[in-house]
Amino acid sequence: MRKLLSVVLAVSLLILLPCAAGAAEKPVVGLVMKSLANEFFKTMEEGARKYAAEDGTFELIPVGMNSETDIDTQINAMENFIAKKVDLIVLAPADSVGLVPSVKKAVDAGIPVVNFDVTLDKKALVDNGLPENFLFVGPDNTLGSELVGDFMAEKLGKGAKVIIIEGNPGADNAKQRKEGFMKTVEKYELDLLASNTAHWETEEANTLMTNLLTKHPDVQGVMCANDSMALGVVKAIEAAGMLGKIEVVGFDNIGACQQLIKEGKMLATVDQFGPEMAANAIKVGFRILGGEKLDGWEKTPVKVVSAADLK
Amino acid sequence: MRKKFIYFLLNEAGIGLILAALCIGFSIFVPNFASLHNVTNIFTQISINTVIAVGMTFVILLGGIDLSVGSVLSLCTIVAGLFMTKEGVPLPVAISGAIVLSLLAGMVCGLFNGWVSETWKIHAFVVTLGMLNIARGVALQVSGSRTIFSFPKAFNEVGTLTFGGVPLIFIVAVTLVLIGQFVLNKTVFGRLIYAIGNNEEAVRLSGHNTKRYKVSAYVICGAMVGIAAILYMLRLNIASPILGVGFELSAIAAVVIGGTSMAGGKGSLIGTFIGAGIMGVLNNGLLLIGLSDFIRQIVTGGIIVVAVVLDTYRVKFSHMLLK
Amino acid sequence: MNPVLQVEELSKSFPGVQALQRVSLDLHEGEVHVLVGENGAGKSTLIKLICGMYPLEGGKMTYKGAPYAPLTPHDAIKSGIRVVYQEFNLLPYLSVAENIFFDSLPRKHGLVDFKKLHSDAERVLDRVGLNVSPTMPVELLGVAQMQLLEIAKAVSAECSVLILDEPTATLSPKDTDNLFGIIHDLKKQGLAIIYISHHLKEIYEIGDTVTVLRNGERVETCSIHDVRIPDLVAMMVGRKMESEYPFRDDIKQTGKVILSVRNLCFKGNTNPVSFELREGELLGISGLVGSKRTETLRAIFGADPKEGGEILLNGSPLEIGSPKEAVEAGLSLLTEDRKNQGLVLDMSLSANITLADLSRVSNAGLLRVSAEREASKKLSSELGIKTPSIRQLARNLSGGNQQKLVLAKWLFRDAKVLMFDEPTRGIDVGAKYEIYLLLWELLAEDKGILLVSSDLNELMGICHRIIVFSNGRITGDLKREEFSQERILECAYKEYIG
Repeated sequence: MRKLLSVVLAVSLLILLPCAAGAAEKPVVGLVMKSLANEFFKTMEEGARKYAAEDGTFELIPVGMNSETDIDTQINAMENFIAKKVDLIVLAPADSVGLVPSVKKAVDAGIPVVNFDVTLDKKALVDNGLPENFLFVGPDNTLGSELVGDFMAEKLGKGAKVIIIEGNPGADNAKQRKEGFMKTVEKYELDLLASNTAHWETEEANTLMTNLLTKHPDVQGVMCANDSMALGVVKAIEAAGMLGKIEVVGFDNIGACQQLIKEGKMLATVDQFGPEMAANAIKVGFRILGGEKLDGWEKTPVKVVSAADLK
Repeated sequence: MRKKFIYFLLNEAGIGLILAALCIGFSIFVPNFASLHNVTNIFTQISINTVIAVGMTFVILLGGIDLSVGSVLSLCTIVAGLFMTKEGVPLPVAISGAIVLSLLAGMVCGLFNGWVSETWKIHAFVVTLGMLNIARGVALQVSGSRTIFSFPKAFNEVGTLTFGGVPLIFIVAVTLVLIGQFVLNKTVFGRLIYAIGNNEEAVRLSGHNTKRYKVSAYVICGAMVGIAAILYMLRLNIASPILGVGFELSAIAAVVIGGTSMAGGKGSLIGTFIGAGIMGVLNNGLLLIGLSDFIRQIVTGGIIVVAVVLDTYRVKFSHMLLK
Repeated sequence: MNPVLQVEELSKSFPGVQALQRVSLDLHEGEVHVLVGENGAGKSTLIKLICGMYPLEGGKMTYKGAPYAPLTPHDAIKSGIRVVYQEFNLLPYLSVAENIFFDSLPRKHGLVDFKKLHSDAERVLDRVGLNVSPTMPVELLGVAQMQLLEIAKAVSAECSVLILDEPTATLSPKDTDNLFGIIHDLKKQGLAIIYISHHLKEIYEIGDTVTVLRNGERVETCSIHDVRIPDLVAMMVGRKMESEYPFRDDIKQTGKVILSVRNLCFKGNTNPVSFELREGELLGISGLVGSKRTETLRAIFGADPKEGGEILLNGSPLEIGSPKEAVEAGLSLLTEDRKNQGLVLDMSLSANITLADLSRVSNAGLLRVSAEREASKKLSSELGIKTPSIRQLARNLSGGNQQKLVLAKWLFRDAKVLMFDEPTRGIDVGAKYEIYLLLWELLAEDKGILLVSSDLNELMGICHRIIVFSNGRITGDLKREEFSQERILECAYKEYIG
């Protein structure tokens, strides 16, 4: 008798619990981030958490990766979110092609996906049966690097001798940033002495720049695809005693570079408002949940940061 | 007479001949390569890898490996950087404290690597792979994944000091190579490192606590990483939880190019130093030639393989000469 | 009848050494031709020339009537000349059948035809009398079975000449008899066999012709029944030895116990072991393979963990948990496997000599190179280690000299109790004799020696006393006047019989 009672109790609990929980439950948002080891994404994730805490109307589950290239973690995270039946997935893809099938799965399961930071590959989208103009929320990397490049070119004048330090070959934002720099080069008819990769790394950028200075001691400006590399470049110029003769611009607006800009060792960087980017993507996502039908590129702002802005 | 000289050269100079050949080649074909300025640059560029590779040599001589050096280096910079940028610590204390803490952090990680792999007889590959993740995680956690900068001015300035074109950090690296070489060749400790690398059981049965020596090698490796971390901070004036990715491969490459056997028991620090030199000279020289990134990568890889293959012929050839 | 293999005036030199000088040899079908000589006499060099490991330098060979000059071991194998080396060349995780036919696995539709493989293997296994399943992984085989498997591998393909290098060195007497039976069969099938051995007694059981080599030259070739053992030994060493086993009765036997083992227990032994060793005594330990002789020595030395019992040195108890503590207390262990456990092969002679007592040649952790050089020079000449320099690598020494080197290491340490495990296995008569003399020198210095050996004649020839192990229990303690093969064997089999 007692046994039966406990069984009945247990079964009724099992049935009732999810209902009870579901009633009070807020919408769940899954946030798939890139490497949280990167300062830029770390601040972005913190911004999203802050937004979630202030807003209070939804529950946020952020997932990061171990390294920039670890797409398996992202794919697993997507699959978990689909299995969990979250209400919205916000994704910064580590690989613009590799993540498309997961996006398709989520869309098929009726979960809206907001793509931010890096655009999904157009061809891959079409191949997987998704619209080519799939919604993307993010900054225009090409525009950002063009803006900061122009800022430097204005200062150096037409025909100046410059070097580009590229990010990881193969990374989409690296390609876009180089593209932006190249637009500046064409516009101002700059003399591009060299364009080499330092794989986003400070030490490698330092070694590279030191060696490039030997080959091209007459360089006037260096455009770096991110701020970590700009740190190494500035240090190389400093070690060569050429501070003040060579202008350096970067991308990402990290604290260490703000310091260098204030000290006048670096000219400018680009702020793409990282902390707000994920939050913006979530906001856009809620507009979809609210019934809006969105596609195409929802651009988020980019801005050149120079000494004048940091006073 | 002449034959004997060539024999001596082939046997004693070893892989250094290949380094010399590279240097001569680049000097002829690349303007600026042999300039004092460029040589200073190369010295600076190989210093950090050299110091890590010194530690790695001890470990590899014992037939072990340490995959965690890059992550541990990053952790050491964070520990030292956080201490150095602490408000209200007097300058001498801040700098010396940072150095001590960096060394300690490296040694603790090394102790963990050695002790765990020796106590449970787990291959160092696995244990140090674990440490690679642990150290990276701790560095990220402790730093909040932020780059630490604005070290004291005095500290930053030391980093670019040179003496007649020789950078301070290079002097540190060479000193460590020489001390290490002395330890390996002239001390009981070094003798036992080689012996254990050759035949651990025979050494144990000769009445030595082999575990103690093996753990010590990992601690030495950790200490070297701690020193390399300080050199890194001197050179680049930052401490970051994301730096040092892939440093283990550069260090292992320097050790192996330098002629140290991955199976243990054979090798020298002079060789390791030359190995690091070959990598640095290649990186510098090929860029100065003006090769593109991808071609440079292909050529570097190719030359490394060719250098090691040539080295196997060197020994054979020298014996043929003597006959 | 024409010889199947005719070797004429082969020569070979290495830097600084004339390893072989104009050696000739005729090998006939159905003949077992024994090669004897001290280590370094040129036996291995001759074999390596025949099997293509070294290129021909001087002289020529004729095989089945045609000139024969193999450039690689593969050439030799293809022509049907096969060698079974002392060190096995087997793949431990593969099956018996796969090992036999590794070079030519039978195929069907591009896949391995396992059915054919196993039936072929069974045929070959039958031929060498090896009774194991073709599917068994080789790592599970015993030493004797591996030996036979190597022979099976050799005769699996076309084979006219089979070379056996010390095939019985690691075999028990029973396995040796079995092997001889198989060699007889192979002989009847027309194979020509070259047989290398240090066991002068056994070559009389198996050999037809004998060739004696010394210092790279041929001393004599004759029918084996035309020479006696002492003559052979004299030809090999170039001098006459008084007896095979020197026994000195002038060593003072004070009766004082130096090492006392009480109720020693260790993993795998069920019966506690107790015995005593006295000053100046050479105590032999006999027993069959697996009777826990080696394990006992290792447990005393702390090389393997001890599970109970006491060890007293000069009356005071020792706490030994590791070889380090044993060495510090004054014990030493010369292991059976000198290459893997006794020597650091890729280091110099002098580094090996000082390995067990580096404190004697160092100061505050710094090596005193000249002191080390002097000490090792002195010891290596005292022990008569034949080497051009003390900087020579241990790997390049012959077996006998390697054994002396291990001994030198422990003499340098000045250990009080020396435990030898099979010290003369695989080394030639001349070197054996010298090692016996060294043992006696040690005993004269009031040391005590424990000697494990599988060679009964050796034990009976040189020991004061023999204790016999049988299945982990000491079943006999015989004084010199009680020694006899029958007594010892009776004790050795005691625990296995009833």
